[in-house]
Amino acid sequence: MTCPFLAYRSEANDRQFDEPRAYCEAAEQFVQPMRADICNDRYDLSHDEHCEIYLEHADEVPAGTETGDETENAGQSAGDDA
Amino acid sequence: MSYENYLAGEPVIITAALTGGVQGKEATPHLPETPKEIGKAAAEAEAAGASVVHVHARKDNGERTFATERFQEIDDEIRRQADDVIIQHSTGGTGASDEDRHLPLRTDPAPEMASLDMGPMNRYDHLTSENTRGLVDSLHEEMVERGIKPELEIFNDGHMNETYGLLERRELAEPVYGTLIFGPGTLTPPKPRNFINAIDNLPEGAQFNTLGFGRHQLPFVTMGILFGGHVRVGLEDNIYYERGELATSNAQLVERVARIADELGREVATPSQARDILNL
Repeated sequence: MTCPFLAYRSEANDRQFDEPRAYCEAAEQFVQPMRADICNDRYDLSHDEHCEIYLEHADEVPAGTETGDETENAGQSAGDDA
Repeated sequence: MSYENYLAGEPVIITAALTGGVQGKEATPHLPETPKEIGKAAAEAEAAGASVVHVHARKDNGERTFATERFQEIDDEIRRQADDVIIQHSTGGTGASDEDRHLPLRTDPAPEMASLDMGPMNRYDHLTSENTRGLVDSLHEEMVERGIKPELEIFNDGHMNETYGLLERRELAEPVYGTLIFGPGTLTPPKPRNFINAIDNLPEGAQFNTLGFGRHQLPFVTMGILFGGHVRVGLEDNIYYERGELATSNAQLVERVARIADELGREVATPSQARDILNL
């Protein structure tokens, strides 16, 4: 389950990228690649344990949306990490 | 190593940390992420004076990967674009499994060097990169099997104790090579007295590399040169050339430290000289 605040964007905040990159809709900024692994719950990481931004904004998550982003972000999931 | 080594004029090894595993192009557009970009950055850094390149692997969107195949792609590009530079893989990986941490050691050929994190380091507010003794030992064992020289990453004084512990548990090829790391958080506080203290605490006969994060990169590598050590610069550790001005490349940071070494009378080691110094 990925973070409900995670989106993949090619453009935001006057920045443009060739490949869509992890964007935090709570912090309203692109995130570091290491933090993107937390957003995606990759490896031994999980957004609801390791991300201070999520923990600070957790009460803003509408009920039921915690399960909704897996399909949207499937193309960006761990894949070849192992 | 000491000020006496500086006076003796021994060559200084410059390591370029090209990419890192934390920040990406969201921090600076000049940070290389793809294999081709990393290969080009390695070649430019070598031309500027680096004899070692420290390598992390990324996917096309900049996110981390530990896959052997991706390290292989990167190494192939470095060898295609650079001349003779020494390749040093990172085995760091906050949150990654112990199994994943071994994957960068398994390219063909193996990297000549690889990093070995000597203990825990906090990340963000709720995360720690653990680097247990068990993982340190298993990574070292595979490095020995594959003929890889470990670069011991000493984040703080406690990790100096861990270095002595490793030397008690395992036999390390001489010279022991450790990177003294200065900066915020879990790292050694970046004060000159702590730098001197760290040098004094090194095992007998050890060679040291000097790493300062952010604005501490330039003063600490200068001290490293003056105290007979080696130095690491690059966009992994510092994205600025000076206050408020992004560095335009890894090579730009290497050029500056090579110029400082030259002014201070220390020859910059070629890759061949670096292999001799480190007994690769």
